[in-house]
Amino acid sequence: METATSHFQLSEDEHRKQRFRAAMRHNLTAYAFLAPILVFFLIFMAVPVVWLFYLSFQHDGILAPAQFAGLDNWRRTFSDSLVLKCIINTLYYCAMAIPTVFVLGMIVALSLSMVRRGAALLRIIIYFPTLQASLIVALIWTFVIHPDFGLLNLGIRALTGVKLNFLGDPHFAMPTIAMIEVWKGLGFWAILFLSGLLALPQDLYHAAELDGAGPIRRFFSLTLPLMKPTFYFAVIFATIVNLQLFDSVFVLTDGGPVDSTATIAWYIYRSLFTFSDPGFGATLSFVLVVVVLALTALQTWLLRERA
Amino acid sequence: MSAATKRVNRRRFLNLLGGSAAIPYLMSAGSPSAAGLSGKITMIKGPHSADEAKYEAEIIDDFKKTNPNAEVEFTTYDWANMNAQLTAGFASGSPADVQYLVDLVYPAYAERGVLHDMTAWVSDPSWKSEHDAIQPFAWQLAKSSKGTWGVPVLGAVYNIFVNLDLLNAAGVADTWNKSYSDMMAAAKATTKGDTFGFSMRTRVSDYAFWDWFPYIHNAGADILNKDWTANGLAGSEDAMQFLIDMHNAKVTPPVGSVDWQGQFDLFKAGKIAIYHGETPEINDLLAKPPPFKWDVAYAPPGPKAQTVMGNFGILSVAAASKNKDLAWAFIKHWASGPEVGRFASEVNLQVVRTDIVNQLYADKPAMQKIQKEFVPRVKGLQPHPKILTMLQQIWPVAENAYLGNLSGRQAIGQMGDIINKLA
Repeated sequence: METATSHFQLSEDEHRKQRFRAAMRHNLTAYAFLAPILVFFLIFMAVPVVWLFYLSFQHDGILAPAQFAGLDNWRRTFSDSLVLKCIINTLYYCAMAIPTVFVLGMIVALSLSMVRRGAALLRIIIYFPTLQASLIVALIWTFVIHPDFGLLNLGIRALTGVKLNFLGDPHFAMPTIAMIEVWKGLGFWAILFLSGLLALPQDLYHAAELDGAGPIRRFFSLTLPLMKPTFYFAVIFATIVNLQLFDSVFVLTDGGPVDSTATIAWYIYRSLFTFSDPGFGATLSFVLVVVVLALTALQTWLLRERA
Repeated sequence: MSAATKRVNRRRFLNLLGGSAAIPYLMSAGSPSAAGLSGKITMIKGPHSADEAKYEAEIIDDFKKTNPNAEVEFTTYDWANMNAQLTAGFASGSPADVQYLVDLVYPAYAERGVLHDMTAWVSDPSWKSEHDAIQPFAWQLAKSSKGTWGVPVLGAVYNIFVNLDLLNAAGVADTWNKSYSDMMAAAKATTKGDTFGFSMRTRVSDYAFWDWFPYIHNAGADILNKDWTANGLAGSEDAMQFLIDMHNAKVTPPVGSVDWQGQFDLFKAGKIAIYHGETPEINDLLAKPPPFKWDVAYAPPGPKAQTVMGNFGILSVAAASKNKDLAWAFIKHWASGPEVGRFASEVNLQVVRTDIVNQLYADKPAMQKIQKEFVPRVKGLQPHPKILTMLQQIWPVAENAYLGNLSGRQAIGQMGDIINKLA
């Protein structure tokens, strides 16, 4: 008995080893499951990022052999007025598009949550623009904003007698791009918010109703606080996606007029492929990464404090 | 389909040529050296027509008659994304053997060493008659960075289309292009209601600089100075001011409001009197004649010259091509009178060969006028490796000026500063 007992009485060191082995087994299993995505991440994300970082200190390197450029590309980045303009334009676009699409998305989601018949069809219809290619979206909106025959312009002209030059006027071009992107993204955000709304505990609403809380009080005291985790994800995701605005700009304005719709992603593309300047393009890519990381970190900190 | 728009088939084109221009080519095509070539090459080109693949197949079929063991695969790039697609091709290490490159982009590729220097080939005495059939200005456009990077084959001329009915009604049909002030007067006289007297491209995405160039060239200026060491825009301030005034006089659609296609649609609808366009649009006007008389023209004379803008395409061989001899043989075939002539007729582009001009476009007077009268006036691009970068970077300044925010002097000054940084 004593011998058997002593057999199971392991020393502290052996206990530690056993715990380590168990943890290793557990971790290895997890890593085995994660391996495919980690390999994918390494090949398609990490390696290109490291390569771009290397290119940011080179001249050329894609068509012609790379030549060490020192900090030339970085110096250019901080002295090029168009880079600053691109950053400001991109932030201006985000400031217009993200709050607008969130407010509209929430309104649509709340409306959809109240629909009892035909809800599935409505959701499909609302989600449909999100599925459209940028080229199709551009074509559709041409018929809306065209100065002569655009539906929106016809309406504005009928009311005010003025034709708006939506994409040709530097003051209107970026708001117009934001409007088009909001239209395109509304379905996605509405469905995301709807899924958050449908997951809210209904017993809290019943209790609030019994306590005499009206719909507006219920929305501000229950819905909004309970939706915080969804908003937390949405704000970060929307920021990352919108900071990379490219398609609409490329198709509709190509950065014009007068660089008023020039965005960081557009300038990266132009530097890499139109100007055949991979070193500068790579440097700009890092600027974008830094801007995205900084804003995401700031949002994470702010939202975590309040979540 | 009217006789004017009838497609030129191979037999008809050869008949039109009357044999003389085709003789050197036909002789060389039947030579044993050409017949002996074999292997597979690819060719990449931007489409000049929805039927591009069909027209290329005609050229390839003819080539295979004398080179039965050769295989040519044809593929296209999109004009809008040509740089991205061509760069990806070159960077892959196995680009298309034969590349159709326009003068805007090829110098950058030549400078990076991804094109084969064709100087020895094009200077070969056995090809002299073919070489000499191509106009000297076109050869100049194919040379940069101390090499000859291709054989010039096609060009697009940026001409003006005029609605003669509108000009006649305003009594300015005979005077509108005598001078810039006459042009302004004609534009004002024909602007009424929703009809504009004048239009030119203003957006960088529409390559608006093509319409701007003749006015700059007519002032004796250019993007770069003669030795390409600095900007050469000095002297074009008044020309720039004229274009600004034209936009501020409200005789054009509001700046940036209508893209190039939109402007052409307005012209076809009879809503623009003086429209800056491009020769392939003649096909459209012949296929669906608009309800008015029209003609082609070029910009009024400037203080130093009266030029026409054109941009040209060359056929190049990729430095990485594994079958350069076959690629060169195919380029000689493509650039030969019968082949390039038929293709140009099919897509309404200009040729740079002088020996087929008289036979070309016999049934399309507007095209023949452009080929005979406009092409000799062409002052093309300076094929600097950064020419596209320069043009795209200065264009926001031009847009800002057209919007009335800069004077001609300020605009040219700002453009010059940008070019000086890149030169």
